[in-house]
Amino acid sequence: MTPPMTPQAATPSEQSMERGAVPRPVFHNYLRAFYPFHPAGDVSPSTITLPLDQGDIILVHSVHTNGWADGTLLDSGNRGWLPTNYCEAYDQIPMRPLLKALTDFWDIIRGGCGSSLKDFGNQDLMRGPIAGVRFLLEKSECLTREAPLVKQCDSLRRIRKALLSDLSSLVKTAKRFQDVANGVPSEEEVEAILDEMLLKAFKIVTRGVRFLDVWNEEVGLGRTIAEMETAGAQSGLPPTPMSANFSMTASASTAGTQPERNESRQTNHSRTAFSRASVRTETVEPHRPMSVATKRISISHRVSYSGPSSAAHAQNLASERLVISYDAFLSVLGSFIGLHMQSRSSTELVTTTQQAVESCRALLAVIEAVCEHDSPRTILLQEAREAMCENLSELVHAARDVFRPAHIHDDDLVFMPDEGKRLVDAATDCVRAAGNCLAKARLVLEHIGDIELDSLEEQSSTTQAVTSITNPEAPSCTKAAKERPQDLSLRLPPTPLSIPISTYSPSTPGLTDSTTPSSLQSHLNSTNSPAHPLASSTLPDSASVSTHADQASSFSSYNSNFRESHPISDVSESFGRGVTSTGSSFTYHSHMRDSEMSGLSRTSTRATSPDIGSSFHGSYKVHSLKESISHSTLAEESEEAEAHLLEKTFAHELVYKDRQVMGGSLRALIEKLTAHQSTPDATFVSTFYLTFRLFTTPLEFAQGLAERFEYIGDTPHAAGPVRLRVYNIFKGWLESHWRHDRDDSALDFITSFAKNRLSADLPTAGRRLHELAEKVAAVHGPLVPRLVSSMGKTNTAIGQYIHPDTPLPPPILGKKETNLLRQWKNGEASLSILDFDPLELARQLTIKESRIFCSILPEELLDTEWTRKSGSLAVNVRAMATLSTDLTHLVTDSIVYLEEPKKRAATIKHWVKIANKCLELNNYDSLMAIICSLNSSTISRLRRTWDNVSQKTKIILKHLRSVVDISRNYTVLRQRLQNHVPPCLPFVGTYLTDLTFVDHGNQSLRSLPTGDGEMTVINFDKHMKTARIISELQRFQIPYRLTEVPELQAWMQNEFVRVRSNGESPNQVFYRRSLVLEPRETCRSGGNLHAQPQASAGQNTLTSSSSQPTHHEEPSQAVSILENAREKLDFLSWTNPSKSKPVASNG
Amino acid sequence: MRPQREYHIVVLGAGGVGKSCLTAQFVQNVWIESYDPTIEDSYRKQIEVDGRQCILEIELYMKQGQGFLLVFSITSMSSLNELSELREQIIRIKDDEHVPIVIVGNKSDLEEDRAVPRARAFGLSQTWGNAPYYETSARRRANVNEVFVHLCRQIIRKDLQEPSGGVDTTRKRDGPSRGDRKRDKGSGGRRRSPCVIL
Repeated sequence: MTPPMTPQAATPSEQSMERGAVPRPVFHNYLRAFYPFHPAGDVSPSTITLPLDQGDIILVHSVHTNGWADGTLLDSGNRGWLPTNYCEAYDQIPMRPLLKALTDFWDIIRGGCGSSLKDFGNQDLMRGPIAGVRFLLEKSECLTREAPLVKQCDSLRRIRKALLSDLSSLVKTAKRFQDVANGVPSEEEVEAILDEMLLKAFKIVTRGVRFLDVWNEEVGLGRTIAEMETAGAQSGLPPTPMSANFSMTASASTAGTQPERNESRQTNHSRTAFSRASVRTETVEPHRPMSVATKRISISHRVSYSGPSSAAHAQNLASERLVISYDAFLSVLGSFIGLHMQSRSSTELVTTTQQAVESCRALLAVIEAVCEHDSPRTILLQEAREAMCENLSELVHAARDVFRPAHIHDDDLVFMPDEGKRLVDAATDCVRAAGNCLAKARLVLEHIGDIELDSLEEQSSTTQAVTSITNPEAPSCTKAAKERPQDLSLRLPPTPLSIPISTYSPSTPGLTDSTTPSSLQSHLNSTNSPAHPLASSTLPDSASVSTHADQASSFSSYNSNFRESHPISDVSESFGRGVTSTGSSFTYHSHMRDSEMSGLSRTSTRATSPDIGSSFHGSYKVHSLKESISHSTLAEESEEAEAHLLEKTFAHELVYKDRQVMGGSLRALIEKLTAHQSTPDATFVSTFYLTFRLFTTPLEFAQGLAERFEYIGDTPHAAGPVRLRVYNIFKGWLESHWRHDRDDSALDFITSFAKNRLSADLPTAGRRLHELAEKVAAVHGPLVPRLVSSMGKTNTAIGQYIHPDTPLPPPILGKKETNLLRQWKNGEASLSILDFDPLELARQLTIKESRIFCSILPEELLDTEWTRKSGSLAVNVRAMATLSTDLTHLVTDSIVYLEEPKKRAATIKHWVKIANKCLELNNYDSLMAIICSLNSSTISRLRRTWDNVSQKTKIILKHLRSVVDISRNYTVLRQRLQNHVPPCLPFVGTYLTDLTFVDHGNQSLRSLPTGDGEMTVINFDKHMKTARIISELQRFQIPYRLTEVPELQAWMQNEFVRVRSNGESPNQVFYRRSLVLEPRETCRSGGNLHAQPQASAGQNTLTSSSSQPTHHEEPSQAVSILENAREKLDFLSWTNPSKSKPVASNG
Repeated sequence: MRPQREYHIVVLGAGGVGKSCLTAQFVQNVWIESYDPTIEDSYRKQIEVDGRQCILEIELYMKQGQGFLLVFSITSMSSLNELSELREQIIRIKDDEHVPIVIVGNKSDLEEDRAVPRARAFGLSQTWGNAPYYETSARRRANVNEVFVHLCRQIIRKDLQEPSGGVDTTRKRDGPSRGDRKRDKGSGGRRRSPCVIL
């Protein structure tokens, strides 16, 4: 079978990708079409391709290595395959939050099971788009209607209004959704509304993109050109850095900066830079290549965006940076030259021009630095540089001239290919000049030796930006990054060499079965696993190629086909397979969503989401965008939307994955905790109460709540419910989650908040909270006794319900036993475990352990509290461990002090029975303790003893061992516990290990990409994981219904104490005793006398421990060492620093 | 295709020297922002050592280990002193003087609290037949991979050097009691550790 053609026709690049030598391109969630793509009618019926018009925005679900992407066209909601080389990544900074919001929106609606969305409510769904629109308007200085730009520019005003109207329409739908969800909606109803919302969200994004286009034409272009002209007028100096790639920063008041510029240029005429904001800096420090501080101001968001990228620091050598900036510049120019091929939107031209200028400056900055070294050889370089500047200037002017004659409409401005001829020429000249510069600079460097440039922070912003984009992991700031030659898989810029004169479209593969990406999967399937049945059925085969005319129906039929024809596992498997073979070429910087994907399969989660989602039904009707366009008047809608926009929210500071909050800033988490539109998720709230002290202080938490109370006041319609929730959170905290040891520091604040602030708005609540605070101050312990298992309780509804009146099982204790116990009490008789029924002993052990287990407080399990060397609060956890240890020792003790092997064997048999009864009682902790002892070398080496143990007992023991087998991270035990019904006493050790590793294996903070950079937020996921483990444990904190026998308990307790008093390392004592009982049969002479000639030459697998022969076959010297080592080598010592005493070596 | 080699590595050391941190840092993928220790593969990792693909299973119990990371904290002299004892035990259990060992001085980020001079650690390394010594910072993820890779390399080399015989004997000796020993260590120990205080 022939492999499908790739649209990019770049075999070399594919090969190199296979080798993994190429930096991974970034996965872009959004593409914008820059060529129309209208496949001819004779397309394969089994493939859905997506017709594109120029300027269309596409949400990308996955990109195949052959260059086709599975995407959804925002304009229509249609989904299908599209050639990525017709598109380019769309990632404009002002649009980022909105784009991210849409991605989240999609993931939420399409990513999970639809039905539970009812609980999800609309609040989180809605905040993203609102915050996104707000960000866009803010960045474009168009937030309010009164903004000068909005007033000046009619086209901006109109599209802004339309945008707000779209937003308002979405908000309305969301409200309706909530109403519907609160009722008893049919699944179809829910789905229909969700789809409607999704399409409306698409619409908002489309409109936002248009808004930005218009803005760029009306404002951005003008500003850029204005800057360039000022700059170009200077005597061949490189142009100054623009205020970021958009002059859209908040500070940008262009008018005022002009005079300062001129001044600064005078004082700093030999420099490449000038200061926009501060002349003084420049004057004072004329030798610095750049005005650092001021530069930072003018490009603040870029700098923060580039961040302290680790890769950046590596590139301080002039030669390296020279090459980097040269490459970056060339790649921009490459795309620039590609512009001529097709009529292009003006926005893209502007952006490309800006990028060209910026990357050129980066190059010039390096050259400047080289020139600084004042070698006579730099004269040639100076010349080259000046020529470069001239060429760049020509390029900029050519770009400007393209627009000059144009009459600007509301619509996207388009320039024709012919007009671009001059541009192309200019760009080509630039390439030549840049090459010349590079050559000369290298020459100079060869002579003067490589020089170290200042650290990047000291360098110009543009250098920084360019440098940062060379780090493939870092989010790319500019298109340059995407267009670097290495990133071929996403886009191959047309080469400058073959410039056709007329309109030109790159060739796409013929749309036959064998060339489309979808059918490629069947190839993969057939090649990788011939038996795989998927083949053509992977494709939605009945749907015809969608067109704009039947967009809505094709959308639904596509999805429904997808769902109906493929079992989930099949489809995801096929995706997985396809990606595995190729996936290494992609890095997704949308890592918040995909963070947990394995390294092997790193496709976008959305690639499989339609199949996972159980929400697709062929029957419902998808609302087309045309229908969803609001029918109410624009004015009315935008009023309402404006109110929403003004709502202060930190929702954008949350990180979601699969509808779970993964992280967020404290204020955003608090906002989530007190959201007004839906009841907060119970797990979220209890996690918060349980763990907040790990990521904030009680006082900060209280203050955060108070702030929330305050700022919601700006949003009248939500203030009421939110404030009530704030009160409720305080109340719950004081009543049930107050920890005197930690929280008392916040009490004064809460009291004053209740008295002064809360009372003003909610008098009753204020009074109540005040009272509560006073009570808390007076009472020690929780006001409202909280169920110990307050978290796990939610799950325990499934626990066995036993009517309270059900009689307890009577103890198995005959007259004889009772008498014996009485005599023992009077010191008249000694007892042994053989005197009692195994079941009864197991029961009493269980009662004893269960009592401690049920008293474990969740806070004992936080922050590895139980490992604290002194003052540990984890008294119950430790008591639990002590009891288990005592039991292990007791078992050993009861065996090794019997002289006769037969008696020892009988005792072993009895303990096996007891252990077996423990298993029947689901008491895994005692089971583990007993098996431990029997497995220990002290016992297991007693061959003569074990010879007296019956085969029957050994078989039972073998089974018990398999239950508590540690291999594969306690897989057996974990599986047993997974759906276990309480009452049950799980083995606590696994929880402690898990908690330790969650704590040590997860960062406390995570980073959140924001519109203009990154912020560090709380890694709430870590705390959710912690809380989940704790709640798992709590799930079992239900007492057993068993009858306690005080006399037996007393005897057992006495035994434990006796064993414990054996000294600090009873194991040594036991082991010596074991040696006395059955002395070593052979002595070791440094060799391997015990080594039996087993046929294990090729034995490499060491995992089959459970199938090993029984333990008693091999006593050896090593055993004794093990015995000693044991205290130290146990796995809990991982989690327990308290034990640092060296173990005495055995004599 | 040749089956991948699977090696068991044991991380040992006094309490609080950062064994779990080191392990967690090593085991979790760089991409993964979220580490879940409750799943079966939580302590497994595939790495490439000198062109060979190996699966490392980080073990918690001495008996199964083929290679040992002996970890101390550079901020605690006593944690270093404990290593000699541990090594002796390992050698006796494995019945092998040349069992692969790497000495790890963790918490190198806490240089200002250093209590163990490098010379001391190197001295120990020399007395142990030049066992490799690394200083790591699990917190900063410094040298974490290196120690595991180096240990793995030693194991592989040993495998190659000792044609079946030597290795097998060791294994055989371990073999029969491997299962129970592990458990023994596991649970018995867990109970014991907190109560050592008593």
